Amino acid sequence: MTSLRRSFGAPLSAVIVLLTGIWVLGLIAAPQVIMIEQSFWRMDRPAGAAELSVRIDALYNRLDVLALDRAAAEKVKTPSSLNAELARLDAERAGIEAEIARLEAEESTPVKTWTLANYAQMGQAHLWIFAKTILASLAVTAIAFVVCYPIAYAIAKLEPPRRAALIMLALVIPYAINELLRVFAWQMILNYGGPLNAALGLVGIGPVPFLESGTGVFVAMVYAYILFMVFPLYNVLETLDTNQIEAARDLGAKTWQIHRRIVLPHARPGIAVGCIMTFMLSAGSYAVPYIMTRGTADPWFTQLVYNRFFQATNWNVGAAYAFSLLLVCTGFVFLMMKLLKVRLRDIAK
Amino acid sequence: MDIALDGAAVRFGEFQAVHPTDLTIRASEFFSILGPSGCGKTTILRLLSGFLDPSEGEVRIGGQPMAGIGPSDRPTALIFQNLALFPLMSVWENVAFGLEMRGWKKAQRRDKAHELLRMVALDGQADKLPGELSGGQRQRVAIARALAVEPAVLLLDEPLSALDLKLRQHMRAELKQLQKATGITFVYITHDQGEALTMSDRVAVMNRGWIVQVGSADDVYHRPETAFVATFVGETNRLPGRIETASDGKARIATPEGAFVAENPAGLSSGAEAILFLRPERLHLLAGRETPANTLTGKLVRRDMEGAFSTLVVETGAGQLTVQRVNAGTDPLPDGPLHLGFSDSAGVILPPGDTADD
Ligand SMILES: Nc1ncnc2c1ncn2[C@@H]1O[C@H](COP(=O)(O)OP(=O)(O)OP(=O)(O)O)[C@@H](O)[C@H]1O
Ligand SMILES: [Mg+2]
Repeated sequence: MTSLRRSFGAPLSAVIVLLTGIWVLGLIAAPQVIMIEQSFWRMDRPAGAAELSVRIDALYNRLDVLALDRAAAEKVKTPSSLNAELARLDAERAGIEAEIARLEAEESTPVKTWTLANYAQMGQAHLWIFAKTILASLAVTAIAFVVCYPIAYAIAKLEPPRRAALIMLALVIPYAINELLRVFAWQMILNYGGPLNAALGLVGIGPVPFLESGTGVFVAMVYAYILFMVFPLYNVLETLDTNQIEAARDLGAKTWQIHRRIVLPHARPGIAVGCIMTFMLSAGSYAVPYIMTRGTADPWFTQLVYNRFFQATNWNVGAAYAFSLLLVCTGFVFLMMKLLKVRLRDIAK
Repeated sequence: MDIALDGAAVRFGEFQAVHPTDLTIRASEFFSILGPSGCGKTTILRLLSGFLDPSEGEVRIGGQPMAGIGPSDRPTALIFQNLALFPLMSVWENVAFGLEMRGWKKAQRRDKAHELLRMVALDGQADKLPGELSGGQRQRVAIARALAVEPAVLLLDEPLSALDLKLRQHMRAELKQLQKATGITFVYITHDQGEALTMSDRVAVMNRGWIVQVGSADDVYHRPETAFVATFVGETNRLPGRIETASDGKARIATPEGAFVAENPAGLSSGAEAILFLRPERLHLLAGRETPANTLTGKLVRRDMEGAFSTLVVETGAGQLTVQRVNAGTDPLPDGPLHLGFSDSAGVILPPGDTADD
C-alpha cells in the first residue's frame, strides 16, 4: 500500500484501490455471494396453504353461483320480493369478497425459510446426470490433453520459430468464427444423414447415431475447447531450453524418457492451466451439448440448471445446482494443482 | 579414444558453417578448439556428439564411423555452453540421470552420484536444486553428470565462460587435472586464448568455418601460419610492408618504420606484400652496446603498469608499437627517445589476410 502511494501519489492510489475494490466486489464476489445466498433458502407457504387455496377457489365458485342466482332472480321475482332477494344476495357477496380478500392476504405472504432442502432436491436421476457431466468433462479434458500435447510440443520445439508463429495463427483462425456456427457445422457433419455417415456408408458401415449416442458432444467439445489446451501447453513448452532435451538425449534417454523426465515436469503449470480451463468450460458448457444432442441424449447438467431457473422458475434450486457445479469445479482446480504440484503463483505466470 | 574428421563439413542451407575439415584428435589428448564467436566451434562439437550429421565427409571415433549413430549411442558426453542442468531435479539426480536412463537401481545410482560429487568436491550439496548453487558449483555438477556415463570422449563447449576470472583459473587447473587422472579425451571449446594455451596439449584455431592451424600452444603462439592466428592468439604488433629480400627461411621487409629481418615461414619472395608480426615482449629497450638485427627509435607515449610488467606505447612516427617490459624494479626509463630492438627470429612475416579484429 505504501509502495503504491510512493509510486503513484495519494489521489491516484485511492482511485486504483477503489477500482480494484469494485472489480473484486462487483465482478468476482457479488455474483458468487448472491448465488450462494439464493441456494440456501426457499419461500415456504405457511402450513395449510393448500387448504387455503382450495377454500379461496370454493369461495370464487360461490361468487359465480351468486351472480347466476341474481340474474335468475331479476327475471323471475316480483319487484317487491326482488329487492329483498337482491339485498340478501349482495350482502352475501360482500361477505364472501371480504373473506376472499382476508384469505388471499394470508396466502400471498409466503415465508422465507433457510434450508438445505434445495440441495436435497437433486434426486437420483439428476445426481446421475451431474456425475455423468463431470465424468464426461474429465474425459473431454483428457482427450484434449492427449490431442494437444504432441501438437504443442511439435510446434514449440520442432518447428523453426517463424513457422511456429504461422501455425499458431492458423490454429486460431477457425476460432474467429462464432462458436455456435462451428458447433452447428459439427452437428451437420455428424448427423444421421451427414457427410461422415455418408462416407462411412460407402465403406459399408453405419449409419452411426453419433449425435444420439452423445459421441457428438465429445467431438464438438474437444474441438471447441482445444485452443484452451494448446495455448498454455505451447507457452510453457516454448520456455523449455532445447539444450535440456539434447542433454538428456546425450546421456542416453529415449524419446519417452525425455518426455517423462524432462518435458512433462517442465510443462506442469501449462498442463494444469489447460486442464482446468478445458474442464471448466466443458462442465459449464450449455450450447454445445444442447445443439449437439437436440434432446436426444441425456442432458448436460448445465441444461438442468437452466431448466430450474427458466422452466421450473425455481431460482433457489437452480442456484443450489449451479453452486454444486461450482464446488466440484473448484475441487477439480485444487486437485489438479495438488496432483501437478503446481502453486497458484506458477499458474498466474 | 581418438577422433578423426575426414573431409567433414556442415552446411545450413546455403550457409557453410564448417568447411571440409581433416582433423585427428589423439586418444587421451586435451584438445582445444579456439576461435571467435560464430566461427563454427559449437557446430563441430555437435558434429562429434551426434546432434548434427556432416553434410559431406565422415566422422570416426575410436576408428568407428559414426554415420547413423545417435548422440545416446556414441562414447561421447557433451557439456553444454549453458550447462543445461535439469532445474527440477536435485543435484544428485542430475548426476545420476545417465545411469537412470541405463536402468540402474536407485540405491546404486545414489551411491555412484555421491562418489562423483565427492570427486568434484560437492558431496554436501547432493539434495539441493541446481538453481541453489553458485556458478562454479553448477559447472562441477555438469562435469560430474557427464562423467557419470563414463564417456571415452568429453566434449566441453565453453564451460567456463560464465565464471569470474579467479574461479575460471581454478577450474582450468581442476579440469586439466581431471583429464590427466581419467585419461579421457577432452575436446575443449573456447574463445579465450589464455584458456586454450594453458590447458591444451594441442590447439586448433578456427576462423569462419575453417580450421586454420593445429599445433601445440607454442606453435600457435610463436609460429603462427596465418595473419589470423598471429592476431587472434595473443597480443601482437603489426608492421605492413613489402618484402625486399628472402633467403633461408628469413626475409627482409621494408615498412614505414624501417627495414627489418624476421622469420618467413610462408616462403614469401621479394616484392610480395606482407605484414611483420611482432610480439610486445620480443621488443626490448636497448641499453648500451647491444646490436640486435633490428633497431628502431620512438617516443614514449604512455606507460601502463600491469604489475609484473608494464606496457609501453611507443610512437615511431609511422605508427604506434606496444612493448612489454618486465618490472625488475631497477632500471628506470630513459628520458628522450627510446631505442628499441629485436632479433631476427623474434618477428614473423606473413601474407596479408583475415585478422582477428576485422
Ligand atoms: N541450426 C542452424 N541453422 C543455421 N545456421 C546455424 C545453425 N547453427 C549454427 N548456425 C550458424 O553457424 C555458425 C556457427 O555457429 P556456432 O554455434 O558453431 O558458433 P560458435 O563458434 O559456437 O560461436 P559462439 O562462440 O558464439 O558459441 C553461426 O554463424 C551460426 O549462425
Ligand atoms: Mg558456441
